[in-house]
Amino acid sequence: MSGSLVLAIESSCDETGIALVEDGRRIRSNVVASQVALHAPTGGIVPEVAARAHLRWIVPVLDEALDAAGVTVSDVDAVAVTSGPGLAGSLLVGINFAKAIAWAHGKPLVGVNHLEGHLYASWLLDPGEDASEAPVFPLIGLVVSGGHTFLVEMTDHLSYRLLGTTLDDAAGEAFDKVGRLLGLGYPGGPAISAAAERATARDRVFPRAWMGDSYDLSFSGLKTAARRIIAEARADEGLPVDDRDGPLPAGVVAELAWGFQDAVVDVLATKALRAAEETNARGIVIGGGVASNVALRARIRSAARSQGIRVTIPRPGLCTDNGAMIGAAGARRFAAGERAGLDLDARPTWPLATSPARVGH
Amino acid sequence: MTAGGPILVIDTATTHAVIALGDPDGSPRAVRSWVAGYRHGEELLPRIEALLADEGVARTALGGLVVGTGPGAFTGLRVGIATAKGLAHALRLPIVRVATAEALLDAAGGGSLVLMQPAGSSDTVVSRAGEPSKIVAGGDAPDLRPGDALVAVDLDGRAPIAAVEAGARAHGGLAASLLRAGAARLAAGDVDDLATLVPEYVTLPRGVRVAVPDAGVELTGGRTVP
Ligand SMILES: [Zn+2]
Repeated sequence: MSGSLVLAIESSCDETGIALVEDGRRIRSNVVASQVALHAPTGGIVPEVAARAHLRWIVPVLDEALDAAGVTVSDVDAVAVTSGPGLAGSLLVGINFAKAIAWAHGKPLVGVNHLEGHLYASWLLDPGEDASEAPVFPLIGLVVSGGHTFLVEMTDHLSYRLLGTTLDDAAGEAFDKVGRLLGLGYPGGPAISAAAERATARDRVFPRAWMGDSYDLSFSGLKTAARRIIAEARADEGLPVDDRDGPLPAGVVAELAWGFQDAVVDVLATKALRAAEETNARGIVIGGGVASNVALRARIRSAARSQGIRVTIPRPGLCTDNGAMIGAAGARRFAAGERAGLDLDARPTWPLATSPARVGH
Repeated sequence: MTAGGPILVIDTATTHAVIALGDPDGSPRAVRSWVAGYRHGEELLPRIEALLADEGVARTALGGLVVGTGPGAFTGLRVGIATAKGLAHALRLPIVRVATAEALLDAAGGGSLVLMQPAGSSDTVVSRAGEPSKIVAGGDAPDLRPGDALVAVDLDGRAPIAAVEAGARAHGGLAASLLRAGAARLAAGDVDDLATLVPEYVTLPRGVRVAVPDAGVELTGGRTVP
């Protein structure tokens, strides 16, 4: 891995990301074409539209990434690509583009699980950033995004033991749904976080689903409760049921946003900390779009500090989908001798804990 | 790329994928077709590698790329166009897009032909030479004009037998037709922009408005943000 330069391609959902990563940690360049605004009018991702946008943007993103790093594909040691999980049509664009690039240049190809990419984002260093100590094993990994919410234990590189996962919705989906109910638009995460910051009273209580002693999670009940609590708040304000007939006052929206966010953050932080304690973890890494939530970051950091556990959370731009995180994980797989064939295909469902990474070794 | 080098043809718009190598004048050297179903992704690049090896052509000796852009199966088109883009970028090949429907109509011969292809499980895409393709809903028959002949591709059991047979014959000539059209444009230097090349767009799911892929996409992280 020492000195390796990996060209990494990510297209599993609605971001076309291509990066050049050195030594599995140092970002040489990291370009993302985001379709968030493209999908905003439909309030969610339309797979056919997403795949087409990947096809439209993948070449300019590659050129920009190579340019920004000042390298050509001949300079790289391996090509890494997200091969799952994700939207089949979106994955196929990145995978087949990567295969063609790797084959034509005679470079080794490595398939990467998108979810391990989110974990490995915690190893990344920005260009020019001082080299900090890498996360230490054993550690607890928490991935929280619009598509996934789970906790794993990592005792070494590429080794994942699933501790718990959401039994229904991902946390990010709940943010989107409640964002819409509060009239805050799509995507809901950043909007709810911003609204919650403005809350003056912090006493709205939303239910927590603790799921007993398990590390599993559930957000569908919270979503349903949020609908009821928001309807009650509208009734209290003398507003009709439909928010198109009159929005809630901004102050109330802020309080409700805070209450909802607090419920999500409380469950995620409590379970992550308990997992770290019970497995004697030395560190916690967090990834996925919801990991850019300010309240979640602050809560986990302060709780872990008192327990002497090191927390690594990437900057927000590396929490959301990007190529660099695939480069960090891809460099590890490349160093471990993994190679994908030209028949590499999309795996739309590919749970991390049963991935062919050396599970349970 | 080698100026005047062999031309590689890729078409994955139908359930029978087609690849071919041809000379710069448009004459075919070798054609391969296989039943890809809806799993073009695993086989396309290995088949291209085998085709070049069989013909003794180094990938760096290629002179141009012709890609069929549909309309057709979403999955196949994504695989074919993503592969073509990767190859064109890596090997610095000029690329030419040819609508698969135009090439099939050309391969089916002259006259007043109406091409039918599936769009999802019940709708069809209907194309005529020189006209934009249209979606025909459900089991509706396309509007036929006097003297029209039907050519049906990937519609076994859903179109008249004569039309399905005409479709099979047209598909047999698809590679040659793509090569003819593509070679002429390559020779004339009339090539397409690699970045903006996307599939023909007629088969969006019902209820989805056509999104312009250039709008609403934000590029960040490079040195310049267009
Ligand atoms: Zn993700």
